[in-house]
Parts: sequence; structure tokens; C-alpha cells
Amino acid sequence: MEAFSQLAALTGDEAKAASAAGSAGFAYGLAAIGPGIGIGYLVGKSVEAMARQPEAAGMVRTTMFLGIAFTEALALIGFVVFILIGL
Amino acid sequence: MLAEAFKFPEINAILRWQDIFTSFNKIALIAVAAAVIGIVVFLLAGNKDAKVAPKGVRNLAETTVEFIEDGIVMQTMGKSGLGWTPFLLSLFIFIYLCNVPGIIPILQMPATARMAIPMFLALLVWVVYNGVGFKHQGIKYLTHTIWPPGVPVALKPLVGVIEFISNIIVRPFSLTVRLFANMLAGHILLVTFALLTQSLITAETQQLLLKPMAILPFFMLVFLTAFEVLVAFLQAYIFTILTAVYIGGAAHPEH
Amino acid sequence: MLTVVNHLQGLASRLATEAGVEAGEGPGPIVPELKELYWGAGSFIVFALLMRFYLFPRLKQGMDARYAGIRADHEQADAARAAARAEVADYEAQLAAVKAEAAAKVDAARQALEAERQEQVKALNAQLAERRAAAQAETEAAKAAVRDQIHAAVADVAGRAGELATGRRPDATVVARVVNEVMAR
Repeated sequence: MEAFSQLAALTGDEAKAASAAGSAGFAYGLAAIGPGIGIGYLVGKSVEAMARQPEAAGMVRTTMFLGIAFTEALALIGFVVFILIGL
Repeated sequence: MLAEAFKFPEINAILRWQDIFTSFNKIALIAVAAAVIGIVVFLLAGNKDAKVAPKGVRNLAETTVEFIEDGIVMQTMGKSGLGWTPFLLSLFIFIYLCNVPGIIPILQMPATARMAIPMFLALLVWVVYNGVGFKHQGIKYLTHTIWPPGVPVALKPLVGVIEFISNIIVRPFSLTVRLFANMLAGHILLVTFALLTQSLITAETQQLLLKPMAILPFFMLVFLTAFEVLVAFLQAYIFTILTAVYIGGAAHPEH
Repeated sequence: MLTVVNHLQGLASRLATEAGVEAGEGPGPIVPELKELYWGAGSFIVFALLMRFYLFPRLKQGMDARYAGIRADHEQADAARAAARAEVADYEAQLAAVKAEAAAKVDAARQALEAERQEQVKALNAQLAERRAAAQAETEAAKAAVRDQIHAAVADVAGRAGELATGRRPDATVVARVVNEVMAR
């Protein structure tokens, strides 16, 4: 609470920097939600597929890594935005 | 009072390094070392007798080659892509050896956590797969990329824009950012927990309990270091396999 | 770890003083630095070209040669195994032929023996039957003689008894007929 009242007292560049730091956290946090759900779903389904058909495990694993790479890119872009505006 | 003691350094302070000599810094050193180590390993491996069962450095090199061939090329491009093995092999080794210094004491900096190397590699891959596409399909490559076969005429403008952006612009961008941001995030995490440990140990406080608490971030640091070993390998693998997928897709559009 | 952190912090301060760049200034973290770009690109291109034209072909050649050798060895082993199998089959065929021959011989010998035995048994049986017939005839003859004697004796006794009872000797033929009837009953 104290921090918020301090924040309100800031002016000009300081206020801008403070709000940038705050929104940077939000940017990364929001960017991590979707990929988090996506990767969880993806890996879960892959494990299911591998358990059901162990002979296709190699192919499933490769495809899983590809899917993770594509999904994860969104979270990483959020991370870059976090660095850009926060630091 | 702890919050005052703990001050995270500016981002450039943990990423930019003093030049070793003019226009040669630590990142350049790691990149050169990665190339040199790769060359030396394969030179030594090549010098060994090929007839006997491989061991030591030759075993290492052959295992890597077989990993690239069976795990990446055969899975994504099939037999016709085996000619790309040397390129993918050098890509994998170079990225891996640039990633690994992030956890090697004294070096403590992944060269790929700076923008230059991932960006160069992604642009190189972009040039390579577009070149392969034009070489194999001629000018049809462009139309195939923009309009995959079977798209209704009415949707062509929309699909064209989306496919152009995703295939030509987003691919190198995401390739760069994936490698760069993963390694940067890992590096920042390691720095954060190292600094936490240090500031807890050196904190000037009356509370006796505070200093032994440094063990908690230290354990986290150890765990993250082990995690970074995995990440270094995984990012090199993903970069390479995506390259293989892009090249394979450009060479044979039906896949 | 502590030394590393100290190293880091020392470097941060050195960055500020020696390199002439304020820490926190300099290009942003996502701007590629040209010197890193040059060195990274140069070392990768050198590495990739060496790999493509010298290191990889050499290694691969050795691997292929070894795999070809292993494959040749395998084929050789397969051929040797097939040859050995053929030899075993050959031997078994020979063995079977010899066994069949031996069995045929044994059968023939057994049949010959059996025939001989049958013959001898038959001869012995015939001899036995002959002897038995002779003995039976002898017995029959003896029996007939004894019966005739008994007839005569009985007839004699009956004639004598009738003579004593009636005072007259009965006719011999009648007595003989009555004795015959009684004894046949």
C-alpha cells in the first residue's frame, strides 16, 4: 500500500519509469498464461499418445518438441517485451 | 531493509562485457572458441582409425552425427535430406557450444544470450531455406508458400497475407527470439539467484536467522544450473530441427 | 558462486570506468552489436564450411567404410551359416538313406527268419499230428480188444448163469445179442 502511495507521489520521468516497470511485469505475466496452458495441453496429449502407441514415441516426441517450440515463442516474445519496456 | 540491500544491477551490467581488445569481447571469444572446439573435435575424430569400434572423441563425434541423422534429418526431411547433415551438424554444435558457457564457471555467459549470433544464424537459415525453395521449385515456390494448394480463390488475399507474414517474416524472427530469449532468461535467472544468495550472506542485519536462509536461493541456483544444462541442449536441438523442417518444407512443398 | 558474483559486480564497475560505457547505457540488450555479429558470423561460416568440405566427409567416409565392413562380415557369417546348414542337411539325408537301407535289411532278415520258423513249426506240427494219430489208433485197437474180451467174458458168464438156472444152455448168438444190447445201454 505504501508503495502505491509513493507511486502516486511521483511525477514526470519517474512516474513513467515506475509505470513501465509495473506494466512490464504484467506484460510478461499475461504473455505466459496462454503458452503455459498450451504447452501443458500439448505435452499431456503427447504423453497420452506415447503411452497408447509406444512404437510411435519417436515421431510423437519430435512433433511435441516442434509444437513446444512454436507455442513457447509467444511467451518468449512477451519476455522480450518485458525487457524492452521494463529494464 | 533487505530490499534496500538487494539492488539488481542494470541489465547491461550482466550482459555487456569489457572488450578483451578492440572490437573483440567475451561473446566473440566464446563464438570463436565454439568453432575451434568443434573443428578440433572433428579433426581428432577424423584422425582416429575408422575401422575399429569408435571410442573417446571419435565416439562423441559419431554419436552427434548419428543423432543429427536419425533424430533430426530422418524425422523431418527423410532420406533425401541427408545431404543437409553437415550444415545442420555444424549449426547444432555451434549453438550448443555457444549456449553451454552460460553454466561454465568463469565464462558464465551464453553467447546466444546476445542478439548478434541468434540473429545471424536465423537470417542465414532464412536465406538457406528460401534459396532451397527457389532452387527446387523456381518461381512457383513463392506462390506455393503464399497460397498453399487447395485454397479457395475468395480467400486468397487473406491467406496470402497471413502465409506471407508467417512464412517469410515471423519464421526468422521467432527463430531468433526463441534462442535469444531462452538463453537470456536462463542467464537472468542464474544472476538473480546468485545475487540473492550473496546479498543474504552479506546482509548487515541483527536477525540471526537471515544469513542461513541463503541456502534456499543457493539450492535454487544449483537446480537452475542443472536446468540450464538441459535448456542449452534443447534450444540447440529445437533450432536445428526447425531449420530442418523449414528446409524440408521448402524443398518438398507437399510435406 | 560468490566469486562469480564478485566477478560480475567487479565487471559492472569496470564497464563503467574502463570501457568508457556507463553500465546501463550502451546499446539495449536486443540490439545486436556489430563486433559480436562479425566474430560470430565469421567463426560459424568457417566452421560450417570446414565441416561441409573436410571434417564431415572424412568422418562419414570412415563410418560408412566401417558399416560396410560390418555388413560384409554379417553377410559372410550368413553365408557360412547357410553353408553349414546345407552340409548338415546333406549329412542328415545320407544318414536317413543309410538308416532306410539298414531297416530294409533288417526287415528282409526278419522275414526270412519268420518264414523259416513257420516252416519248421509246420513240419513239427505235422510230425506231432502223425504221432498223435498213431497213438490214438493204438489206443482204439487196445480198447476194442479189451471190449471184445469183456463181451466174451460177459457172454460166457451170462450163458453159464442161464444154464445153471434153466438147465439148458441158451443160444450163443442170442446171449451175444443181449449182452451187446445191455452193454450198449
